[in-house]
Amino acid sequence: MAEIEVLNISEGEVGFSDEIMKLGAEELLDCIQCAKCAAACPMVLAGFEFFNKRVIQSILIGQKEILLDDSSIWACQACNRCTEVCPRKVEPFGVIMAMRRSAMKEFALPTLAIEGLKSLYDVGHAVYFSNAGENRKKVGLPEKAPTTANNPQALKELRILMNKSTLSSLGIIPMDAGLTDVTCCEV
Amino acid sequence: MKVGFFVGCNTAFNRPDLEKAFRYVLPILGVDIDDLDGQSCCPTWGTMPSVDEAGWCALGARNFLISEEKNVDMVTVCGSCYGSLAETKNKLDTKPELREKVNEMLKAIGKEYKGSTKIRLATNFFYNEIGIEKIKSALKYTLEGVTVGVQPGCHSLWPSEAYLEGEKDSFHPVMLRELCEALGASAPYYSRVVDCCGMGGMRSTNVEASFKLVKTKLDSMKNEIKADLLVTGCSSCLIQFDTAQAPMKKDKKIDYEIPSIHYVQLLALCLGADPQQVVGLSTTDMSGILGKLKKIN
Ligand code: SF4
Ligand code: SF4
Repeated sequence: MAEIEVLNISEGEVGFSDEIMKLGAEELLDCIQCAKCAAACPMVLAGFEFFNKRVIQSILIGQKEILLDDSSIWACQACNRCTEVCPRKVEPFGVIMAMRRSAMKEFALPTLAIEGLKSLYDVGHAVYFSNAGENRKKVGLPEKAPTTANNPQALKELRILMNKSTLSSLGIIPMDAGLTDVTCCEV
Repeated sequence: MKVGFFVGCNTAFNRPDLEKAFRYVLPILGVDIDDLDGQSCCPTWGTMPSVDEAGWCALGARNFLISEEKNVDMVTVCGSCYGSLAETKNKLDTKPELREKVNEMLKAIGKEYKGSTKIRLATNFFYNEIGIEKIKSALKYTLEGVTVGVQPGCHSLWPSEAYLEGEKDSFHPVMLRELCEALGASAPYYSRVVDCCGMGGMRSTNVEASFKLVKTKLDSMKNEIKADLLVTGCSSCLIQFDTAQAPMKKDKKIDYEIPSIHYVQLLALCLGADPQQVVGLSTTDMSGILGKLKKIN
């Protein structure tokens, strides 16, 4: 028989649920663990261990380390089925996002998320293929798409906004420090 | 009528044949396109929304501002872009404190979000703005005898409060089914119609788990309605179903393939577009479906 893991909940991190509430999960404490969100969640169907209801319960008992060690929160599809069905308006998807924001601060994020953020800062697109021009030409489109990737002024605007976001203090990706202090209309 | 085309990263750089299809279809239906030059990533879930709410909304707002200046609504073929931008708009329009914070950030680029334009998903736009009758009367080809399994995609359904022109009952969607029927195909209900495709965060976190969802969905479509074709309303779902089936077949997880296409591509084919241009980058085999297009005399 598999060994049963016993969790000492008095060892949970004090103040963790307050942190998560501040990061965007305002209605966290209204959860009654009814599991409607879990019944609708594709993560459950796919077999992930920490889906909406379990993430909420783990936060409530302060199990930050367990949540940081498991990659499930990054598999959330942002589909909002849970938000749609929750009878207590907890917005479980918002809780998952708040948990991700907490994980970001601890640098507990997947490489792909780092690459996505870097690409977003570098060209304005989280998904970008520098060799896409060939395929664009093949289907009769101009090689360059009319986006930040080919519009330096627009890209600069986007970077200024990213520098004004929490991202600039996290140190996850290299950012241009000169853009942090832009106050108005210097673009 | 004129709309701004919010092209999105996946469409512009991964499936430009879908971009081409959109650019082909709209003028035929009497709609002009503005490119919204300078638009960026929406951005979606693994990036800015996972960092902070205001940063996410500021990037979305900058995209809205491009269309506000031109006084056009944005239309997108990507469910993820639609979901992220519609949620951004919903937040900015209902949370004054957040809006103030975002406008404070936007000051640095000399801009302010006013909320005068909408983000619209192409399929909703066709259904509500163009209308089934206009689509039918523009067709050059029909798809009689073809059975379609539809995949509306999560981000056109929930949270329903953010989707102003969405389904009446989001757990029993009908729009994409009716849009396919307008092309002459049949698009019956099957039990997994609102299931998730497993793309996005799930596929990048655990590809095997993600394929489990693909299999559940495809099996349901195949066994219950014997679908000849899978039609999505979302470019992320398109990429998932178009690229997951070959490796799944190789690993003997499935022993069939259902060709997968975005509705805008299917409509383009029925309006007479060159298949090389509008489905030329498909991985699943389109030849069977192309052979079933029936010319209207
Ligand atoms: S988040 Fe809502 S649906 Fe989920 S368990 Fe809590 S109360 Fe129930
Ligand atoms: S948004 Fe995330 S947690 Fe909610 S149902 Fe979808 S996958 Fe599950």
